[in-house]
Amino acid sequence: MNSNVWLLTFADAISIATTLILASLGAMITERSGVINLGVEGYLLMGAVTGFVVADSTGQLWLALGSSIVVGAAMALVHATLTVTLRANQIVSGLAMVIFGTGLSQFIGKPIEGKSRPVVIDKIDFGVLSDLPIIGPVIFGHDPITYATWLLALVISLYLHRTRPGLILRATGDAPATVDAQGVSVKRIRYVHTVVGGALMGLGGGWYMFARAAAWNQSATTNGIGWIALALVVFASWRPLRAIAGAVLFGFCLQVPFTLQGQQINILPSEIVSMFPYLMTLVVLVALSTPRARRLLGAPKMLGQPFVRDER
Amino acid sequence: MNASSEATQGSYRENGAAPSALSAQNVTKRFPGVIANLLVNFDVARGEVHTLLGENGAGKSTLASILSGLYRPDEGSVLRNGKEVRLSSPRSGLSHGIAMVHQHFRLVDRFTVAENVVLGSKGLSFVLQPKDIEAKVSEVSEKFGLPLDPRAVVGELSAGQRQRVEIVKALYHGAEVLLLDEPTALLAPPEVVKLFETVRAMTSAGKSVVFVSHKLGEVVDISDRITVMRDGKVTGSVKRGEANASRLAELMVGREITLAPRRGTSNSGDVLLSVSQVHLSHDQSQNQSNQPNQPNILSDINLRVRSGEILGIAGVSGNGQRDLAEVISGLRQPNQGAVTVCGLPTVGLGARATRQAGLAYVPEDRLGTGLAPSLSIVDNLLLTRDRGFLVDRKSALIEAQEFITKLEIKTPGPLTPTRKLSGGNAQKVLLARELFSTEDLSRVLIVCSPTRGLDVGAVESVHALLDQARKNGKAILLISEDLDEVMTLADRVLVLYRGSIVLEAKGVAEDFERVGRAMAGISA
Amino acid sequence: MIIGKARIQLEARLTAPRWLVVVVPVFSVLFALVVGGVFLLITGHPPIRTYRDLLDNGYTSFYGITDTLGLATPLICTGLAAAFAFRMNLYNIGQEGQLYLGMVGGAWAGIALAPHLNQFIAVPVVLVTGALFGAVWVLVPALLRARMGTSEIVSTLLLNYVALNLINYFIYGSRGFFRDPSTPFPQGRPISESARFDSFGTTNTYPTLIISIILAVFLFWFVRRSNYGYETSVFADSPQTARYAGMNSIWLTSSVLLFSGALAGLGGAMYVVGPAGKVDPGLLQTGLGYAGIVVAALARYNFVAVIITAVLFAGLRVGGSALQASSDPVPIAIAVVLQGAVLLFALGGEIFRRNRVVITRVAQNVKVSV
Repeated sequence: MNSNVWLLTFADAISIATTLILASLGAMITERSGVINLGVEGYLLMGAVTGFVVADSTGQLWLALGSSIVVGAAMALVHATLTVTLRANQIVSGLAMVIFGTGLSQFIGKPIEGKSRPVVIDKIDFGVLSDLPIIGPVIFGHDPITYATWLLALVISLYLHRTRPGLILRATGDAPATVDAQGVSVKRIRYVHTVVGGALMGLGGGWYMFARAAAWNQSATTNGIGWIALALVVFASWRPLRAIAGAVLFGFCLQVPFTLQGQQINILPSEIVSMFPYLMTLVVLVALSTPRARRLLGAPKMLGQPFVRDER
Repeated sequence: MNASSEATQGSYRENGAAPSALSAQNVTKRFPGVIANLLVNFDVARGEVHTLLGENGAGKSTLASILSGLYRPDEGSVLRNGKEVRLSSPRSGLSHGIAMVHQHFRLVDRFTVAENVVLGSKGLSFVLQPKDIEAKVSEVSEKFGLPLDPRAVVGELSAGQRQRVEIVKALYHGAEVLLLDEPTALLAPPEVVKLFETVRAMTSAGKSVVFVSHKLGEVVDISDRITVMRDGKVTGSVKRGEANASRLAELMVGREITLAPRRGTSNSGDVLLSVSQVHLSHDQSQNQSNQPNQPNILSDINLRVRSGEILGIAGVSGNGQRDLAEVISGLRQPNQGAVTVCGLPTVGLGARATRQAGLAYVPEDRLGTGLAPSLSIVDNLLLTRDRGFLVDRKSALIEAQEFITKLEIKTPGPLTPTRKLSGGNAQKVLLARELFSTEDLSRVLIVCSPTRGLDVGAVESVHALLDQARKNGKAILLISEDLDEVMTLADRVLVLYRGSIVLEAKGVAEDFERVGRAMAGISA
Repeated sequence: MIIGKARIQLEARLTAPRWLVVVVPVFSVLFALVVGGVFLLITGHPPIRTYRDLLDNGYTSFYGITDTLGLATPLICTGLAAAFAFRMNLYNIGQEGQLYLGMVGGAWAGIALAPHLNQFIAVPVVLVTGALFGAVWVLVPALLRARMGTSEIVSTLLLNYVALNLINYFIYGSRGFFRDPSTPFPQGRPISESARFDSFGTTNTYPTLIISIILAVFLFWFVRRSNYGYETSVFADSPQTARYAGMNSIWLTSSVLLFSGALAGLGGAMYVVGPAGKVDPGLLQTGLGYAGIVVAALARYNFVAVIITAVLFAGLRVGGSALQASSDPVPIAIAVVLQGAVLLFALGGEIFRRNRVVITRVAQNVKVSV
């Protein structure tokens, strides 16, 4: 067994983790404000296809990524309007977005199906560092956005725990009545964080398109990563830095089938191995939901509840 | 208005120069169906502790809310340091140095003390400086004798400590006038002592404190002045030294009571409900941090109710009433003790079995617990019946029609969802279901606050229903915060205070004062 | 919200006027068609003509309507599954996986048991087995939810992907029980003829449609009339009240989820008894499980209305796929887009059912000094 292969798998896992991290960071800040957005899959797909189409017509990578961000934000704006202002059921609204996003991305993507991506995100060449034996591919072998994502996780973590708006955000998810009593607009906070969250999800999809997927093929594009990202938020206890660890772990599980196939190791059929990420996520969720665990780790208390101020 | 209220009005002129720190002039406030405050005058001077005393519903919390900016008065005005101010929100109140600490704390459990204190601060830097904040929080808390660890997580603090956080929060933001709403309601005696020390420290520093309370005995020592309210009006005011428990109790509850001439029934019916040595302690695993910090929710409860008798349980809300009702009805299991319904021991059998033994329970929360709000009257009548595999709505429909006619329930029809009914009509449905089923299985009835929030006509109807049930031989346990109601309806009265029975009396006018004092925690 | 001199407020209603019940779904569909039309225009397809073709292929032509009814058959089942659970605020999103497992279970019974059974029993056995497999697939999330309060949303979802891989394994990854031994081509082993229904004539509609419809009507009646249905209604309305009345929340929660899984599994078994006759990976492409959620939501969780919305959405799919194959191909995805759009508008429209719009004039502001 070639240990180098496993190293490469690990490096690969870190890479694919980028999408997971972006999507779960987006879901995380949304949930921190008290809103559940289940539509991640739809946002990823729309981000991917929009990016592709824009790159196809303009040839500009950054413009394409920008469009992914805008699309994600726009979809999230609809979700926020439905759930915060109109107080619709957040679960059903998120699911509707998955369906809408899946359909629309397929619709838009039809003309470009099978076409290989017009631009690619290149990995940064760190020169000598990239050639180091283990650290090379694992730490120095990635593209700018991946590094930016790690930085983003750090920034969001600082935002949450070290700044005043972050404090208010955390309070909004737990006790919106308290925040409201201070004269701060709960609605505004929820809107802002839902939209920004959606933007991150869109970016995650766009990045995936240009860094990992070879071509636009709807069903193979995300493979349930959006849902894993949602589970990842729970796994990370709504803390950004832990999301990185979890994402790499899940990313590894997602990559393993390919590596096994490439190495022609057939202990288990590839389909069964493909089940592992999902089964593992399930096991993790179970472990995290014992009452003791929940008390210690804790979702935002008012997650999923529309906030209605008592009339005076 | 009598002479005492003139004294109240005059006091802020009394000292000559200094206008009072905060005052209400001829404030009136109405809510749908009730006048909460009527032409109320109240003020508090710098460095003074002025207590607003009264029963639940007297209007004192409303007045305090108006003074702090939570509500706006319909008429009258609020003056700060003699100048009229329009307080549009609690925030604007705070900008004038007025802060209210509510009975139910507005805190984020997950945050530390420091984070909670600083949550609403304007002018806080973008990046939090935890050390600075913690230092300032410590400074404030030490200055006023409110020891707190700024790093402690609020969710793990006791009720007394959480209250301290709320007070520190107010002081941190520069409050000069503090209104404390029922501050001792959730405190154990030692914590009450600490609170009073804090209050003295604050007034020594020139702050003004308004205590809103019903606990007569506690406030007598701490208050410079006590103003009593009842039914939205000020009934009297006394200064330190003039305070006399009896006089205050009379101001709080006393009035001519015309007890309706009622029963001549004897109390020789069989004992249908028996409760002995029931204890209920706090459930540690549930970590209900708003529970009073007392050893037990219920301690050594003993009572007996006979057929044809109404036993009243009087007490201010929050002293264990609902817990008692839930234990007796089988919804909760006591840690110790026995409950016997019609001869059958029911502890541990659950709600359904207890009901089948012959006990009916009318909870305080009509629409949230006793009824399913979106379901029709007919469906709700079926709620506590045996239903079988298929639900028989036909006979329930007939019953519903009967009830609507007999009890004059105002409703478009028997298929109306119960949330569309007014409070009184919903209560009638609830009582009808529990009192008068065609099978007439229930012989014991527990009723909690049956006339809360109802208008006079509905109150009369409900009382008539209860009296009739008693005549039919039912044993009724009436748990109510409305002392008038208890004294009017009950043959005997027990007073529940902090989870224990502290007094037994008869339902006659002479015992009224005694009961009132016991409710306030003053031992006879 | 203030616009100009008018303050627009939402005020809670006590009852929803009857006409709203019809108006909101209808307008949702209309608005969705407009949105879809915009996308059609952008991609160069004339909307009106496209919609007319859609209508024709999905509903008004003979083979159109029969195809639609055929697709509606399992869709009604997943719609019922979603409605049954969602009305209790239990979000079983795993119908897709439960559907697949129902297919597997039905196929297993059709291969292993049916040859030994006479014709009248074979089909019911296959259907019941499929339902059981569907229920088993939701068992773990159901228990987690009932006993520990774990959210059923992600747990049921994840099992969808496990189920998907399972089907792929059975057909592509192995040469086992479910593979057709008579050919190297990867396809499912056909079930015994006794467990199959023939379609009506040359159409794609199968007698299982009748079973679906009867089931929907039965559930409607059952929830209304049975004690179980009554208890779930109370629990859905107010869990506090249910507790007061002595109802067992663990039993209610887990049984509703299991029942929901069984309904979805039944849909999968119907697919086997009807068109497929074997484990068919093609089912993985149709997304009937997710569509069931939309169908249920649009029907406002009313079981009889589910029949109507299921036919509506099935028609969209059928019409859409015909469009894809036509001379001016429109991606079938337009049907999915319309589905999602309809649901989004219906969600938005819900606000009007619960609230009334009140417009008042804003008085001249009094000068305040604070």
